[in-house]
Amino acid sequence: MTTTAARTTTYAWILLSAITIVSWWLAPGHARGAAAVASVPITLAVILLAFIKGRLIIRYFMEVRTAPRWLKLFTDAWLTVLWAGVLAIYLY
Amino acid sequence: MTHAEQATSESGSPAASSGSEIEQHPAVHVPGDGHMWVMVLGDLIIFGAYFIIFMVYRAMEPQEFLRSQEHLNINIGVLNTLVLLASSRFVARSVQAARGGDHALALRLTYLGGLCGVAFIVIKAYEWSTKIAQGYTISSNDFFMFYYMLTGVHLFHVSLGLLILGITARELRNPRRRRISMVESGATYWHMVDLLWIVIFALLYVMR
Amino acid sequence: MSNTISTHTSPSASTADTRRAKRAGKRDVWLVFWIVPAFYTAFGVIFFALARVMPPPRPDVTTDQMVHFFHAHGLTIKIGFGVLVLILGGAGVANGIVVYHMKRMTVGSVLAYAYLGSMSIGALPGCLLVAICFLTAVYRPGRDPQLLALLYDLGLLSYVGSLGCFSTAYFAFAVAILYDRNQIFPKWLAYVSVWQIVTEILAVPVFVSKAGPFAWNGSISFWMGTVIFGFWLSCVIVFLMKANERQPVDEAPLD
Repeated sequence: MTTTAARTTTYAWILLSAITIVSWWLAPGHARGAAAVASVPITLAVILLAFIKGRLIIRYFMEVRTAPRWLKLFTDAWLTVLWAGVLAIYLY
Repeated sequence: MTHAEQATSESGSPAASSGSEIEQHPAVHVPGDGHMWVMVLGDLIIFGAYFIIFMVYRAMEPQEFLRSQEHLNINIGVLNTLVLLASSRFVARSVQAARGGDHALALRLTYLGGLCGVAFIVIKAYEWSTKIAQGYTISSNDFFMFYYMLTGVHLFHVSLGLLILGITARELRNPRRRRISMVESGATYWHMVDLLWIVIFALLYVMR
Repeated sequence: MSNTISTHTSPSASTADTRRAKRAGKRDVWLVFWIVPAFYTAFGVIFFALARVMPPPRPDVTTDQMVHFFHAHGLTIKIGFGVLVLILGGAGVANGIVVYHMKRMTVGSVLAYAYLGSMSIGALPGCLLVAICFLTAVYRPGRDPQLLALLYDLGLLSYVGSLGCFSTAYFAFAVAILYDRNQIFPKWLAYVSVWQIVTEILAVPVFVSKAGPFAWNGSISFWMGTVIFGFWLSCVIVFLMKANERQPVDEAPLD
């Protein structure tokens, strides 16, 4: 009984889970106790991936994809301001 | 004639009155009732502030934060993320089922989503207990204070979400109580909980 | 002649009627209502300008600095908190009128009483205790610095850290609003009350934190909590007013 909507939701979920696994690999050594070293490229990747995951959840799970424009703009603005802010403070 | 088309094709969203939106999508729709979106958007702003404050304090002691971060169990973090993502999928599917009139399926999916939520709490409790056993408590340092407070207030949101899903389930069980707006609102809240966790996971566990 | 008079007067009479109808509600309820913004304005002046508790002085100071705080602000503390202990009943009145409107909801009175009970208990640690501690501190000039430090900590920890009572009240308030079918208050006000609970949870660390965002003067535990409280309080006052306005003048007295 898979409709288009159900299929889209499932694809979004698979993508989200895949990105999570990638983040796992980027993390400070997946063996516990491994030394964490600051890394700008990895953090950049993490921020980008988190932005994408957030947007996927908002657009596909929260159905903002079919929401009025103001809601699309507001949620995109929130994601942008948050992650740009995080990045700016990180790089400062 | 266009007005009539607009009236039938949109469902209660004040902004969707321009003709262009009708061409893009036949039904521009804000899921649930507007009130839950006040909760969600406001909560996102409030948490956004907490996250920025976290980053500011991290920037003041980057080495200490990095060293402390090592002691977090990334495997548990990933597991919790996957569990919450799965729960969101179940809840999203339950909304679709409810819309399609299959209330039995919607109910089952709501239960599955809730079950994942319970699993999240159990895993989090286990994680906290291991950290405390290793000697990392809320007063260990700034990083750990943020860790316990951010995950703690998030856990409060998960618990509230379980309460809301419970109410959704109760309504779905009784044909006379069913409201699609409740199912949608509950789902919207639950996805917010998932979204917040994605940020927490990235900030506390992964970024360096 | 009477026709022209009646057509001349009836539109203005009906507009006057509409205007009068908008400001309906019961006169005794209105009287009680106005006490609420009056009290909280006085509260603001007292806590911000006079007693200097908002924003609170820092936890990470030496005993000498705590002593200095009391010396520097002794006079305004006496004036401000001296007035507060007299007008504290205003908090009770504010709780009372909220309860009054909660009892008009379809959910019945139980949640209203939960709100009333929790808020009343909360008033002691959350408002009065810091006043008594600080008044005691400035009462005798030569007081032992160690005792002054104790009163400093006791007052400020209780003021910022008295969370549980208020959280319970906010929760009862939120549940009542969400289940109420009389629409006494708007549903989104319930969610603002949930944010209040969130800020209370985030104030728990004040008991272990001496500096930083989770101290009693911290950006998270104090500042964000205060901003959100200010917003919540403003909403409650506005919607109390609207609830008053929309209440039919001939509504039966509540039991």
